[in-house]
Amino acid sequence: MKLNHSYNKFILIKLILIFFFVDVIASELIDEKVKKLTLELRCMTCQNQSIYDSEADFSNDIKKIVRKKFQEGKSEKEIKDFLTNRYGEYILFKPLLNYKNLFLWAFPFILLVFSLFFFIYRIRKR
Amino acid sequence: MRKLIILTPLVILFIISIFLLIYLLSNKDPNKPPSVLLNKNVPNFESNSLYNPKIYINYEKVKNKKVLINFFASWCLPCKVEHPLFFELSKRYPDLFILGFNHKDKIEDAKKYLLEDGNPYNFVGVDKDGMIALEFGVFGLPETFLINENGKIIYKFMGPLTKEIILNEIEPLL
Repeated sequence: MKLNHSYNKFILIKLILIFFFVDVIASELIDEKVKKLTLELRCMTCQNQSIYDSEADFSNDIKKIVRKKFQEGKSEKEIKDFLTNRYGEYILFKPLLNYKNLFLWAFPFILLVFSLFFFIYRIRKR
Repeated sequence: MRKLIILTPLVILFIISIFLLIYLLSNKDPNKPPSVLLNKNVPNFESNSLYNPKIYINYEKVKNKKVLINFFASWCLPCKVEHPLFFELSKRYPDLFILGFNHKDKIEDAKKYLLEDGNPYNFVGVDKDGMIALEFGVFGLPETFLINENGKIIYKFMGPLTKEIILNEIEPLL
């Protein structure tokens, strides 16, 4: 009987420890996700600083909301959409690839094609 | 002729680049990024009154009215500068509903501020944790929004309003 009681206690401690470690690991995972995402976000009240690096009031609010959204199970894309719907793409260091920015993304390649074309033409002419 | 064929696309590219550069540099203040909420529906909000936590406001309560929303705080010095202008606005446009959101402030400080400087707002809502400001894409105080009768944000201004801004930019929309 006594042995059974000790065994139950052992199981209970084990379960508590498992829950504790799962919680710690989950929290660390969220910390990592928050860091990764906030490094890609611009602090709009600072000069060229990411939300992660900034301690401004605005940045701390965004860090809080990003953490909350991750805890709610939202994906990185959903959080980015949430923020860009309110603050615009300006909050992202890396602009999104959509029809509005298509020219921005394509322009270097267009330039490269033109340059190559011009370069080949010059070589062939010589 | 061949030379012309080769050069034409390059010239076109150059012209496009110049136009893009002009577009990028015109009316673009990097400190004032454009608001994505302009011409969009007002975000959902619900806020308790600064004076009576049992009373609350949401968009439903001011539906079909022109609403001027101003985010302010007692600790915000530029807010003090624009504050008297709201009295003039409410006097000239009695139908305009001026809604103040007290942002991340202490209740006592906000009440004291409005007692000393006067309260030009039709309703003062509390935005203690800044979540209403976040819904409106606010990132610095003061910020002002004008909502039309259809619930669309038709104007946004970041920073303290001036008489000129009210006269030239807000009044034509009222």
